[in-house]
Amino acid sequence: MADPHQLFDDTSSAQSQGYGAQRGPSGLGYPTASASPQAAFLADPVSNMAMAYGSSLAAQGKELVDKNIDRFIPVTKLKYYFAVDTLYVGKKLGLLFFPYLHQDWEVQYQQDTPVAPRFDVNAPDLYIPAMAFITYVLVAGLALGTQDRFSPDLLGLQASSALAWLTLEVLAILLSLYLVTVNTDLTTIDLVAFLGYKYVGMIGGILMGLLFGKIGYYLVLGWCCMSIFVFMIRTLRLKILAEAAAEGVPVRGARNQLRMYLTMAVAAAQPLLMYWLTFHLVR
Amino acid sequence: MFVWGEPEGELGINFDHIWQKTLTVLNPLKPADGSIMNETDLAGPILFCVALGATLLLAGKVQFGYIYGMSAIGCLGIYALLNLMSSSGVSYGCVASVLGYCLLPMVILSSGAVFFSLQGTIGTVLALVIIVWCSLSASKIFISALDMEGQQLLIAYPCALLYGLFALLTVF
Repeated sequence: MADPHQLFDDTSSAQSQGYGAQRGPSGLGYPTASASPQAAFLADPVSNMAMAYGSSLAAQGKELVDKNIDRFIPVTKLKYYFAVDTLYVGKKLGLLFFPYLHQDWEVQYQQDTPVAPRFDVNAPDLYIPAMAFITYVLVAGLALGTQDRFSPDLLGLQASSALAWLTLEVLAILLSLYLVTVNTDLTTIDLVAFLGYKYVGMIGGILMGLLFGKIGYYLVLGWCCMSIFVFMIRTLRLKILAEAAAEGVPVRGARNQLRMYLTMAVAAAQPLLMYWLTFHLVR
Repeated sequence: MFVWGEPEGELGINFDHIWQKTLTVLNPLKPADGSIMNETDLAGPILFCVALGATLLLAGKVQFGYIYGMSAIGCLGIYALLNLMSSSGVSYGCVASVLGYCLLPMVILSSGAVFFSLQGTIGTVLALVIIVWCSLSASKIFISALDMEGQQLLIAYPCALLYGLFALLTVF
C-alpha cells in the first residue's frame, strides 16, 4: 500500500480487513490467505502468485519507463513551461493576434532565472503550442471530413508531416544560430515554443475558411501572418540581439547585421509555413 | 448468514463511492470534494465504456476498436499534461478513472442517437452541450483533487478535445 510505484491503488484492503480476509500489502510477498468461501477464488494460491507476479512486472515496467523518460525528456525543465494559468493564456492569445500595442517585451528575471509564464506574459510556454498543434491536426481532419476526403490514416499523415516540418525548422534555426556564433540564452525548448505559436493563426485561418470559404481564409490568414511576423521579430530581437543590446553597442556592426538578418529570416519563414501547411485544406 | 454488501466488499467495488462520483459528474456546477479521487476505481468507468459501446451498437455503429484506441491515447495525453501542470503528480489509474466517470453524459447522448438522428442543427447543439458538460465536470474533479488554481479552463480544453472525438464517433 505504501509502494509509490504502484500503478493501481489497492482498494480491496480497506474492506477486506473488516471482513476478516487477511490480505498482506499488495505486490510482492502475497500470503496465501484463508478466507471466507466468497473469496475462495481470489485466495487460491495460484491466482495469488499470478497477481503478485503481474503487479511486480507492472512495477518494474513503470520503473524502467520512468528512468528512461528522465534520460530523454528533462521533466523538471518542461514543468516550467507548463506553469500557466487561464489569465496568461488569454493574454498571450491576444498578443498573438494583436501584438501591435504591446510595449514591453522583456522577460522579467528573478535572481538569474526567468520568471514562470504565470507571472509574465512575455515568457514562452509550451501549453499553447502543444494544444495548438493537437487542435490543428483535429481541425485538419475536420476540414478533410467536410470535403469527403477523410480517413483516419490521413489524420496520422497530417500529424506526422506537421511534426516533421517543425523538427526541420528547429534544426535549421539551431544550425544557423551555431554558424553565426550567437551567444544567446535561447534554449531549444524556447525555440520549439516560439515556433509553435504559429499554429494558433493556422487554426484561425482554417476555421474561417471552413465557415466563409476562400475569402475568409485569406483574410484571416493574412492578418495572422502579419501578427506572427511582428510578434516573432519583437520577441527574437530581444533574445538574439540581447548581447549587443545589453552592451549598448549600436546595431551597426557586421555581426549585428547578420543577427538582424537571421531574425528577419526566421520571422519571414513563419507566414510561408503557415500558408504551406494550410492551403491544401481549404477548397 | 448471508449479509448484503459482503460480495461487493470482497470484489473491492464500493457502490456508495461509485454513486457519489456519478452524482458529482451529473451536477457540473456543484464544487467537488477533493478526497473522492483518492481511491482509484475503474469499475464505474469500465461500466460506462461498455454502456457507450452498447448504445453505439444499438444505433448501428460497430466501432469498439476506435473507442479503445482513442481513450487509451487520450488518457495518456491528459496524464502527461496533468503531470506537467500540477505540482503533485497524478497516477494513470486516477486519470483514467476520472475521464471514465465523466463519460456518462456521452452515454446519454449516444442513447439519444438510437432514437433520432443527430446530424443536423439540433444534434450538433446537443453534442456541443454534452461535450462542455463532460469537460467541465472532468476539469472540476481534477482541479479539486490536484489542488490547482486558475487552471480549470486550461484542463477543460484538452478534455473537451477528447470528448469531442467521442462525440464525433457518436454523431457520424
